[in-house]
Amino acid sequence: MFWKRRPLQSKSEVVLRNIVVAFLVLHMGIFLIVPVIMAFAGSFHLWNPLNGTYKWIGLDNYVRMFQYPTFWTAMINTLVFCVVVVAFRVLLGLSLAYAITSKMTTKKTFFRTVFYMPTVTPLVAVAYVWKIMYNPQFGLIDQILGVDINWLYDSAFALPAVMAMTIWKDFGYAVILFMSGLMSVPSDYYEAAHIDGANAWKTFCYITLPLLKPTMIFVVITSVISYLQAYVPVMVMTDGGPGTATFLSSYLVYDQAFVKYNFGYASAIAFFILVLTAILTVISFTVTGEKPEKRRKRA
Amino acid sequence: MKRKIMGAALFLVLLMMGVVTVVPFVWMVLSSFKTNAEISALEQTLLPKAFTLENYATLQSNFNFLRYFGNSVFIALVVTALVIYISCICGFVLSKYQFKGKNLIFGFIMMTMMIPWSVTIISRYTMFVDAGLQDSYLSLILPAMVSGFGIFMMKQDIGALPDELLEAARMDGANEFAIFHKIVLPMSKNSISAIAIFQFLWVWEDYLWPYLMIDSEEKQLLAVGLTTFNGRYSTDYGGLFAATTISIIPVLIIYIIFQKRFVAGVAAGAVKG
Repeated sequence: MFWKRRPLQSKSEVVLRNIVVAFLVLHMGIFLIVPVIMAFAGSFHLWNPLNGTYKWIGLDNYVRMFQYPTFWTAMINTLVFCVVVVAFRVLLGLSLAYAITSKMTTKKTFFRTVFYMPTVTPLVAVAYVWKIMYNPQFGLIDQILGVDINWLYDSAFALPAVMAMTIWKDFGYAVILFMSGLMSVPSDYYEAAHIDGANAWKTFCYITLPLLKPTMIFVVITSVISYLQAYVPVMVMTDGGPGTATFLSSYLVYDQAFVKYNFGYASAIAFFILVLTAILTVISFTVTGEKPEKRRKRA
Repeated sequence: MKRKIMGAALFLVLLMMGVVTVVPFVWMVLSSFKTNAEISALEQTLLPKAFTLENYATLQSNFNFLRYFGNSVFIALVVTALVIYISCICGFVLSKYQFKGKNLIFGFIMMTMMIPWSVTIISRYTMFVDAGLQDSYLSLILPAMVSGFGIFMMKQDIGALPDELLEAARMDGANEFAIFHKIVLPMSKNSISAIAIFQFLWVWEDYLWPYLMIDSEEKQLLAVGLTTFNGRYSTDYGGLFAATTISIIPVLIIYIIFQKRFVAGVAAGAVKG
């Protein structure tokens, strides 16, 4: 069609394009690129805004970071947090989506609406409710389970408690994504499998799962990236405690930057998280051999 | 017969998971009608024994709750409106116009979505303090008004509109601004509602940035307000229940009303893109 490539651009098109491009470049420049560069430069400085220190110290912040035990505690906590929460998210998301989309289930919309409810509620408020739910004297959880555990103040239970809250909050998102993945599987695939005599389990393993791979990758990557950045539940529920039992990577940045005002040191940790995020994204894509663009086009 | 039993079993499992999902909300709402004595009593009941509205009544006097609430609504509405408009117009230009550097800009926007908040927040904080924008709503609105997610979604959505439609309007002599406002915007309602709900929620629950930027109590937002409330009146669980109920219920109502568009938006953003 001749208008697909229009060499002639109207004046208003040029004006609109220029406005949008100029605005985007300016906004990204001021609020993203400059801050990233400032943080990168800052990570090589002793930087404390309270007493106005800004002194070049080379790689000291990075060296200190790897020697700092709390850094490793936070990283291990984050790893455990990501593995457990993401596993539950995928497991719950996939099985519940499978159950809802099953032909035998009625009230699909109702269940979908219910499961997605926690995802759309504000995290700060929800974290407070869970904090009270974990109260050892009158909290709902000890009442229901019939145990006497001081969840948030016991270093063995604090991190699992925060993880349980996060699983509850986030699994609905995976349910929705897997549901739309499941519904996009062409029904003749299932019919063909049925004719070939495959049972439900085989059909699931050999047809449904491989076709859901893109959704699975998407859920895992977005989850890990978002948990590398999680700080609200920790801040509201435990303040990182008891001790450093619930320090997560991004909470450590908050703690170093805005509690202890070690801006340079906090920037170094933040850059470590950035590199981690980038590596994880690249690994996940190469492992599965799929580029995001390709996946997009196919779906 | 076997099918029927399977169906019933499936329904039961789903129902149980549904109950687990809903219980915290129910507990929160019911507890907000209990007296503090009853909340912290040894003998617990699900339903309030002595139904009271006092927790809600004292919210305002103890806590200037309406002020926080109003501030949050205001900021969330302004930011959401700006994000929607900017996402749409950027999505339109980036999907329907051909020009040099387009893919570079779009690739860059995608890349910035990956940058953790922790990398930018320290220097942004320094920038805003140096610019004297601390304790002003500009500091909350300016950085938030461009959303990579929003631009990405609108680019996908508007890109799917038929070129013929736009071309026909151009033939009729419409300029690009008219085309955008009269054709593209109205046709993107579904994605717009999805972005609207998400963006509203993100602003509503944003915590650290307003906590760092806003000093004066009369400008503070609800999410941060909840914290000060918790610290100062640490024993007033009834008040905290009432406050969280009010900060969660409006969002839930919006969600239940728009849930169809919501789900369509999530699915479109993830699978298509």
